[in-house]
Amino acid sequence: MSWSQIWAIARRDLNGRFRGLRLLFICLFLGVATLATIGSLTSSITSEISERGQEILGGDIEIALSQRAATEQERAAFAEVGTVSETNRMRAMARRVADGPDPSRVLVELKGVDAVYPHYGDLTFAGGGTLDTPLDAQSVLVAPALLERLQMKVGDTVQFGTAQFTITAEILEEPDRIGEGFTLGPVALVSLEGLERTGLVQPGSLYETKYRIKTSAGANPAELAEALEAQFPVAGWEVKDREEGAPGTTRFIERLGQFLGLVGLTALIVAGIGVGNGVSSYLSGKRSSIATFKVLGAETGDIARIYLLQLAAVAALAIITGLILGAMMPPLIIAALGDVLPVQPGISIHPVPLLTAALYGILIAIIFALPPLAQARYVPAAGLFRDMVERNARIDRLTLILVSIAFGAIVTLAMVTAREPWFSAGFLGASLGVLFLLALLGGAIRWIASRLPRPRQPLVRLAVAGLHRPGAQTGALVVALGLGLTLFVILAAIQTSLTGEITRSVPERAPSLFAIDIPVDQEKQLRASIAEIDPDAEVATVPTMRGSITGYGDIRVADLEELPEGAWMLRGDRALTYSANVPEGSELVEGQWWPLLYNGPPQVSIDAEMAQILGLEIGDTLTVSFLGREITATITSLRQINWQSLGFNYLMVFSPNTLRDAPHNLAASVSLSDAGNVEQEQQASNAILGLFPSATVIAVSEVIGEVRTLLDQMATAITAAAAITILSGLAVLIGAIAASRQARTYDSVILKTLGATRRQILLVQAMEYGLLALLLAAVALALGYAASWYVMTQIFQFSFEPDWTIVLMTLGGGALLTLVVGLVGALPVLSAKPAQALRHL
Amino acid sequence: MARSSDQTSHAAEIVLEARNVTLTLGVADAPVEILKGIDLSITKGESVAILGPSGSGKSSMMALLTGLEKPTSGEIVVSGTPIANMDEDGLARARRGTIGIILQAFHLLPTMTAMENVMVPLELDSGDAIRDRAQDALEKVGLGHRLGHYPAQLSGGEQQRVAIARAIVGQPDILFADEPTGNLDGETGSEIIDILFERHRHSAATLVIITHDRSLAERCGRIITMGDGRIVEDTGIREDIAEPAAGQDAA
Repeated sequence: MSWSQIWAIARRDLNGRFRGLRLLFICLFLGVATLATIGSLTSSITSEISERGQEILGGDIEIALSQRAATEQERAAFAEVGTVSETNRMRAMARRVADGPDPSRVLVELKGVDAVYPHYGDLTFAGGGTLDTPLDAQSVLVAPALLERLQMKVGDTVQFGTAQFTITAEILEEPDRIGEGFTLGPVALVSLEGLERTGLVQPGSLYETKYRIKTSAGANPAELAEALEAQFPVAGWEVKDREEGAPGTTRFIERLGQFLGLVGLTALIVAGIGVGNGVSSYLSGKRSSIATFKVLGAETGDIARIYLLQLAAVAALAIITGLILGAMMPPLIIAALGDVLPVQPGISIHPVPLLTAALYGILIAIIFALPPLAQARYVPAAGLFRDMVERNARIDRLTLILVSIAFGAIVTLAMVTAREPWFSAGFLGASLGVLFLLALLGGAIRWIASRLPRPRQPLVRLAVAGLHRPGAQTGALVVALGLGLTLFVILAAIQTSLTGEITRSVPERAPSLFAIDIPVDQEKQLRASIAEIDPDAEVATVPTMRGSITGYGDIRVADLEELPEGAWMLRGDRALTYSANVPEGSELVEGQWWPLLYNGPPQVSIDAEMAQILGLEIGDTLTVSFLGREITATITSLRQINWQSLGFNYLMVFSPNTLRDAPHNLAASVSLSDAGNVEQEQQASNAILGLFPSATVIAVSEVIGEVRTLLDQMATAITAAAAITILSGLAVLIGAIAASRQARTYDSVILKTLGATRRQILLVQAMEYGLLALLLAAVALALGYAASWYVMTQIFQFSFEPDWTIVLMTLGGGALLTLVVGLVGALPVLSAKPAQALRHL
Repeated sequence: MARSSDQTSHAAEIVLEARNVTLTLGVADAPVEILKGIDLSITKGESVAILGPSGSGKSSMMALLTGLEKPTSGEIVVSGTPIANMDEDGLARARRGTIGIILQAFHLLPTMTAMENVMVPLELDSGDAIRDRAQDALEKVGLGHRLGHYPAQLSGGEQQRVAIARAIVGQPDILFADEPTGNLDGETGSEIIDILFERHRHSAATLVIITHDRSLAERCGRIITMGDGRIVEDTGIREDIAEPAAGQDAA
């Protein structure tokens, strides 16, 4: 028979019975739409970042230096490569200059720019217009948030350090905003001369100068950057080219995208169970049609082709609809999320993620729909004469081979498209492991239920029988229910653990304020002024400077093709300090601390975890570039840092003689006796800034607010992804209940004819589902515990202390919900009229 | 399988033969002997009733004779071709155009219209003029006005007529009817039987009716009575009662 004739029959047979394949459609649609959305969103963000690379970086090459400007030689070398634009960025306090006594101050990112800035893109103003003439030394451009916090407007005067500026415009968009990385306060833009006027740029103060080079067209920025670095090997620059304008952001987005993508893939695999269930109950509803086709002379091949075409048509429809939704969602999400995203990509179609999602959809459909199809074609023609109790469970070799190939393709695809293939493989493996475990459990429950002694009570007996009778959906129910409940546990555990993380990371006597850029010789004044406000306040100071690691052991960082796993400390510059004693909040775990008045060759104590990541041991050397020169120190001890202490935690602490004579300032932490006293906090802040106009004060409560927002966003992303998986699980659950409806209707009708009330029938169902829910709640607790522990401690490196009351309540709620869903699904069964049903059965 | 080309031949051409056929069903530790050695031959153009009470094995015998089921032992020959050892697909092919089957429960495809139901066997046999032939068959059973109706929109009698049209549309050599009136009331049932015998009169085909109804059996030229998995009585061809000779005005 030709395919067109097969199609004609398939179409007619499907006619009006699309309902039977609803589950196939919904499950595939949900899964593909999720994957397509996540993939498209990630792609549009990262491609936007990479397309706008020059703008984000502010040039074709960027060279960043810590706490110093470039030397004459360096500048000359930059100028040889192309046009140079210089910026200088630091944290500073903006102070409102107004009549009256209220000296409001806000932490800002103060950025001095030269006349060339910006090389690429436009700095736009809120009122319209762009920065096209260089700023003069008296003007400042500010972000809207600053105006809001200081309650100022354009035209007002604001003070930074010792200089006053007139606000000439409100910034709408700063082209190189993402390239600047993490910021604490709103931005304020002045000219380099203006920055000079503030008096904030002093030897030892914490600032970063950046030289953005615009190369000639056709030049290769990566090669030029490399050549520059080779020319100044010990300068301690951080060099980027336009290909990696915002490497941190891109990395974060890609990683988040990968994680969400894997969750989406898990949702698709769960949906696959629904696909398998839907197809198999659809085809078992078609047994009589299949047998009839055979009576009329159809061969098994014809049957396979008829139903293959039907399934393929519905699957294709589901996948295409899913892709359309997936392509349409990112602009909506981008609009909804607004400023949370680093860039606001326009509407664009990204074929690769869509293609990947479609491929996953097809593979999942093959894996889960092919086996029931392969079995269905063996429905014998004689099936019309008697009910076949012994169902044909054989699956032919070809089907097995196709399913195995599809499975292999999914794993390969997941690994090939991932940034971290082994993480993906591990995640997939764990998900499949959980599913396999649940499937095994489903089998075990059936087996045990069938071998239990028959309960005396007929209703209990029926409930137990419902778990193992032929055609029982126990397997699918266990997987769907178990997975749903496990996810409830995971979500609750992660959410409460994250919330607890914030509370826990603020120790009982946490510092209220941090101040940076306090002159070394004025520590006494600082302590005295704080003591005036709160005699019981604790003030701790620590010398602070910034430097970057340029070498460790025998390795030059510049020579590394790729950073070792987890070696974030090699990226950019890090805070350095020196100390005569082991700093508070650290514990010496290996080696010896230097003697009190040590005056020998440079020594350094480093974080034990950092040592492990870099493979360093006591006696190895560490080289840092600091103010343009390199210092090589011997590692003499390792410390365990308690990051949660919120104190001064430095990866690298040097022996005092190494750094003491270099220009530097102090950082101070102030712990007020009455934590949470905002007024006192404000007083202390004002006192510090009154004494040291060039200092910057950061209120811990503000930082915690930022961190809380970040953690909240993370929790939202996890919840959103998990919700999709739960949705798939729910679809599977409803599908499983629907699939067993016919058998249940039969039971319920027979029971009714024998005199059972509807209450009794409902009770049987409640007992059956209740039994399952109870068992699975226990399993979910164990699985969910393990999974959330892994996510919290191994992926996010947080501590794992969930609130068990909430977790158990969530689990109980979830179990109750499934029970209700199950019983609501049973209602149509209850209302079946015996006479009517018996006629149709 | 070749279709009989000589529809007017009156020679006692055997179209259906069973030789010592047995059928045992069930699992190994609890086998149930359904048929216990059936020997039977039916010639072209006969009308045969297989009569017996429930459980006598008559439906199983039909399943075997139509190739819907394989015998445990013995041989079945349909139009000269042994079918006992054919695989399922071979049997399906063998049925096309050779055997038409009408079932007690109609077994129309619920998702297809009357017309589409009748078209299916022709489509499976890759025939031509499919629509015309299907419409013709439906008109012959008096359903020319119900072509576009779905089974659910048809009465039981109409459904069975669609089933008859579907069984005869391929002009099979042998037409089987398994309790064709079992699901119908008396009047509708006799209408259906009239259609079957009318059809039989106008074609060279063999008609085999499986029934427990003696009065229906009496209308056939030959009655084979079954009991406990065996043939207990075979009247042979009763010339006096037999319907007029087949093929006189074949379609």
